[in-house]
Amino acid sequence: MKKKIPLIAHDLKKIYTIFAVVVVVLFIVCTILTNFNVMSLVSNGDAFWSFITNDFLPPKLPKASRIPGVLSSVLVTLALALSSTTIAAILAMFVALFGSEKVSPFPKLAKVVRGFATFLRNIPALVWAFILFSSLGIGTGVGFVALCITSFAFMVRAFVETMEDVSQDCVESLLTVGGTFPQRVSQAILPSCLSGFLSWFLYCVEVNIRASTIVGMVGGGGVGMTLFSYIKNFQYDIALSIILLIALMVIVVDQVTNILRKELLK
Amino acid sequence: MKQILKFENVIKRYPNGVHALNGVSFEMKEGEFISVIGPSGSGKSTLLRTINKLITISEGTVVLDGEKISDKKGKALRSLRRKVGMIFQNYNLVYSLSVLQNVLHGRLGFMKGFKGIFGIYSEEDKKKALSLIKELGLEQFAYNRASDLSGGQKQRVGIARAIMQEPKLLLCDEPIASLDPSSAKTIMDLLKDMTSKRNIACIVNLHQLDVAMKYSTRIIGLSKGKIVFDDTPDKLTEEAIEKIYGTSYENLMLGGEKSEKEDSFNCA
Ligand SMILES: Nc1ncnc2c1ncn2[C@@H]1O[C@H](COP(=O)(O)OP(=O)(O)O)[C@@H](O)[C@H]1O
Ligand SMILES: [Mg+2]
Repeated sequence: MKKKIPLIAHDLKKIYTIFAVVVVVLFIVCTILTNFNVMSLVSNGDAFWSFITNDFLPPKLPKASRIPGVLSSVLVTLALALSSTTIAAILAMFVALFGSEKVSPFPKLAKVVRGFATFLRNIPALVWAFILFSSLGIGTGVGFVALCITSFAFMVRAFVETMEDVSQDCVESLLTVGGTFPQRVSQAILPSCLSGFLSWFLYCVEVNIRASTIVGMVGGGGVGMTLFSYIKNFQYDIALSIILLIALMVIVVDQVTNILRKELLK
Repeated sequence: MKQILKFENVIKRYPNGVHALNGVSFEMKEGEFISVIGPSGSGKSTLLRTINKLITISEGTVVLDGEKISDKKGKALRSLRRKVGMIFQNYNLVYSLSVLQNVLHGRLGFMKGFKGIFGIYSEEDKKKALSLIKELGLEQFAYNRASDLSGGQKQRVGIARAIMQEPKLLLCDEPIASLDPSSAKTIMDLLKDMTSKRNIACIVNLHQLDVAMKYSTRIIGLSKGKIVFDDTPDKLTEEAIEKIYGTSYENLMLGGEKSEKEDSFNCA
């Protein structure tokens, strides 16, 4: 038999094959370890479907008297996400200046700053929320702090990278004119990085809209809290309409930030 | 003529062990226009950057306008840097700002406090910047963003910014390496013209031998971090060129035919 002419390099084909095998093996291992079989979803399908059709469907509106409260809880979630991201962005901008060897007046400390930010960022907002709730008690303020910490850490990293990409050359030229550090920041770094910073900020707003809903569920207030209270009372049909409302909120915010981001690129 | 710059046995070792400068000594007087030539990696950029302490030297002394630059820190370093304008291969402008704002950056070293931070320049400075922009033929672009300009125009903004500093010495690190031949000529003509009119000494790193011959009053040839040639352009023989580039004359792609080179001798 004639050998077929391969379309891709032999090595690459080998990598794809190995990758496919690894995925299958991992799936089997995980199934065994977790004792969870995807097939059980199909075999237990009846119970699952009846839960969906009987309890969730059709979505039901909350009592008319409760609707304004639900809507204002959506606003609380939005405000929580926006305000925490804004405060975090302002703080992150200052700290990021010290996180880049090329920009910071204390280049030796840059690694420490970045390491600290990485450490904070790798702890999810939800974990921060739990830690803070147990020490400070439940409330919107604590949700705000939890969101602030993670988005601050994320933006420090993102801002440092933006600065290193964009502003090294012009920082150097302001060094040669004898400019001070604050002058270099305001006259070179900020103008050349502002659109990059804003674009990361908008991304963070998107992330925090979702995160603030979840932080809300565990006690941070807002629409997450409302949703959770209906679930706790087994009012799944009302919960469903709130879930739809949350989806709507997330979609609208994503659309708005997308439009803004495109405008920024112009 | 007054001495403006002195290198005494300067050595620069990078942390990775590369000896970029290996005992460099020379003096420079006001009114000189020096071209530094040499193969890539011979230390031209390093040499230029040690002059305003963008790079700190390992040994030796650099004396700029009578002051040792290696002892300078903070405010004293900034005011010494002010005396040295610099022009870069990549122009190094702030592209989101206007041409005028970029030119005015040359004044930042003279400004204190929040005026400098927020870029509140005096009317006098603005007038001066605008007339400089006009002198460089960019008046219709004064309020354009720097990113809208062509390469040659960006480099002219770079020159204007450096001149705004009222420097005593101008350093140019391959100012024409990213430009087409015609913009390159404009830039070199401008550099020569602006510096001689204002009595600014000038050091230019160049790759183009013919350009070095045509414009400079003196040429320094670097090879592996050492000065192997330091004389007027007419003394730059084939032999000297071979010594600088470490290869025979035929293997070099030179900027023009031999006859043209002789023409440029006459011009210079
Ligand atoms: N920041 C640096 N760290 C380590 N080595 C460097 C650095 N900058 C330049 N070098 C090395 O120093 C030598 C001289 O470089 P450079 O001054 O840029 O030469 P040129 O401008 O003549 O091409 C080269 O071998 C280069 O690899
Ligand atoms: Mg170089």
